Amino acid sequence: MKKHIALLIIASIVLSLASFVAAEEVTLTMGSWRNEDAEPVQQMLDKYKEISGVSIRFEPTRNTEYNANLRLQLEGGTGPDLFYSRSYTVGRKLYEDGYAMDVTDIPGVMENFDDTARHAWTADDGKVFAVPFAAVNHVVYYDKDVFAKYDLEVPTTFEELLKVCETLKENGETPFANGLAENWDILECVFCGMIPNYIGGFENRELYESGERKLNDEYFLRALSDFEKLTKYFPEGFQSVANADGPMLLGLGRAVMFIDGSWRSGAWDVDFPDFNWGAFAIPAPEGNAQAICHHSDMAITGNNATKHPEEVKGFLEWLASPEGAQIVTDCLPKGFFPMISSDVKLADEKTAGLKALSDDAIRDSRFMWNTLFELYTPLVDNLNGIANGTITVEKAADALTKLQEEIVAK
Amino acid sequence: MTTKKRRRNGLHPGGSYWMMYILPALAVYIFFMAYPMLDSIRLSLYNSNVVPREFVGLQNYIDLFTDKTHSTRFWGAFKNTWVFFFFHMAFQNVLGMLFAVILTNRTMRGKRFYHTIVFLPCTFAVTVTGYLFRMILSPVLSGPAFKSVGLDCLVYHWLGDEKTALAIVSLVSVWQWVGIPAMMFFAALQNVSEDVLEAAEIEGCNSWQAFWYIKYPLILPVVGMIAILTFVNNFNAFDIVYAMEGPTGPPNYATDLIGTLFYRVGVVGVNVTPPEPGIGAAISTSTFFMLLLGVIPTLKVTQTKE
Repeated sequence: MKKHIALLIIASIVLSLASFVAAEEVTLTMGSWRNEDAEPVQQMLDKYKEISGVSIRFEPTRNTEYNANLRLQLEGGTGPDLFYSRSYTVGRKLYEDGYAMDVTDIPGVMENFDDTARHAWTADDGKVFAVPFAAVNHVVYYDKDVFAKYDLEVPTTFEELLKVCETLKENGETPFANGLAENWDILECVFCGMIPNYIGGFENRELYESGERKLNDEYFLRALSDFEKLTKYFPEGFQSVANADGPMLLGLGRAVMFIDGSWRSGAWDVDFPDFNWGAFAIPAPEGNAQAICHHSDMAITGNNATKHPEEVKGFLEWLASPEGAQIVTDCLPKGFFPMISSDVKLADEKTAGLKALSDDAIRDSRFMWNTLFELYTPLVDNLNGIANGTITVEKAADALTKLQEEIVAK
Repeated sequence: MTTKKRRRNGLHPGGSYWMMYILPALAVYIFFMAYPMLDSIRLSLYNSNVVPREFVGLQNYIDLFTDKTHSTRFWGAFKNTWVFFFFHMAFQNVLGMLFAVILTNRTMRGKRFYHTIVFLPCTFAVTVTGYLFRMILSPVLSGPAFKSVGLDCLVYHWLGDEKTALAIVSLVSVWQWVGIPAMMFFAALQNVSEDVLEAAEIEGCNSWQAFWYIKYPLILPVVGMIAILTFVNNFNAFDIVYAMEGPTGPPNYATDLIGTLFYRVGVVGVNVTPPEPGIGAAISTSTFFMLLLGVIPTLKVTQTKE
């Protein structure tokens, strides 16, 4: 009897193994930091399966833990076949360490994207290591009804913006909903959104990266002092206002404007569907050309250690083709724009409006993303100091310059 | 050979048969506790940001304690952790003791109800508590409600001010966990013999004397255990700060604990920069030895009288 049972078990194991092998079709995995996008991305991957027959499973991790997790997986040989690549430093490091695929020769990558789009994912050796996928704009959201109530126009210069703030404040409104509680948005959303208006496009940013321009020059000082002026219009107790509080404050009518990224544009859909919002680019100070922080955010690349390189390359090729890009765009969450040069239609009107803000402006990624990443924490600390009034703009600029010199010297 | 070996039977099987019983537990302990811990000590001697890892000796520790970028944060977090710990000792354990004494009062009514109230917050998820209090303490979200009832003095950015943030976060944690020592003291106090207390009462002992000279000495071992638990839990504290303030310990690192510092440096990386597992392991190893230094004397003092 015992023998029979043993035989049965063995037989069933063999059978199940056999059926598994027979039914095996290629399933790729895709790593990502956007776990909030699981649904739209799955839609996109389902459509890709209809076209190619290759199924891809979306396996996102938490945004803040993605870099570390992905690295551990790649080092341990269990990395996903496809993964989202961070722009600049972090993504480049994975290419240099041999994990991210060189996608330069994949058809479409060189033809369908322009240099600006590819720039964030181009290594020092000139190779492209990921297919650009989505970008975002840094904008000012505003409550259209309140603007109408006080007869305010969308400001076109920073000075006008301050006047708008003053009018709102006099009428007992809180002009801005930004705060310091999370210690990243004040730099990434607010200050990085302002910088291009003061220093210009990426050619000028590179001057800071090479050390030719200092962080205490007139342009950067002006940016810092305008930032200081702006913080005067943050809410009472802005020190404890978190990034996620911003949309709530606007939706509840407790604040009028909010500087954040276009990725936030879907925030009011569920809780405040009637909230009548608009958006404008953070205006440039008088005399400067309008620029905008148009951040290259997402790209997808292949894992060099994948067991299915053909399928991975096939997907990346599709991603880099105009037809693929259109489908991807249809599935992108609100507030993300495709980076392909071909004419892609954005179905969501609001997203199209957000993208239009950067169409005629000077565009650049976040200031320290390329080589000045070590300035991230010092910048956050100094912006906190300026907002709290514990450090002067000049002192902050001098401290940052010292660090900049150290980084450049390395 | 005539010497007879001791008879082996079911009761005295001899040999090292007993090893078999502890083997599973030992294996689990070795693989899941001892090995990772030793490996993390080993990791703290390596620079793990290059491929392959490079042996650097004690450099990570030297950086941690003396290099400015790391040491300011480490000593800052070290100090904050102590403050966090003292808040728990002073408020959580004293209040816990107070509640336990009140709840063991023989004449009190509605004991069960108060029991539940005191213990209830312990059953909440830390993220829930953190989020709730973040809303309650937020001047922009709850401020208007406070103002409308005349409590203007409560409208303040408690969590955004360097001077108040750590105290507030500690007190929220105290609020949540006060039920644990309360229940443990409660259980211990119930074991104090009624005879002794009645005899004392007849001798004319008041309730303070009864507590200080009878109950307290009798539950001292439990007090010691609670002190150790508080010490260990608070030196590993992380979740409440993460839930209420974020992994960077804002404002301006005022709520940065060793737990958050370790998480930031060793696990996820500061902001978007890659983590440094070597330095992280050095932080956790240092914490481990500090805990050891704290636990052993406490045990010695409180557990010898058994």
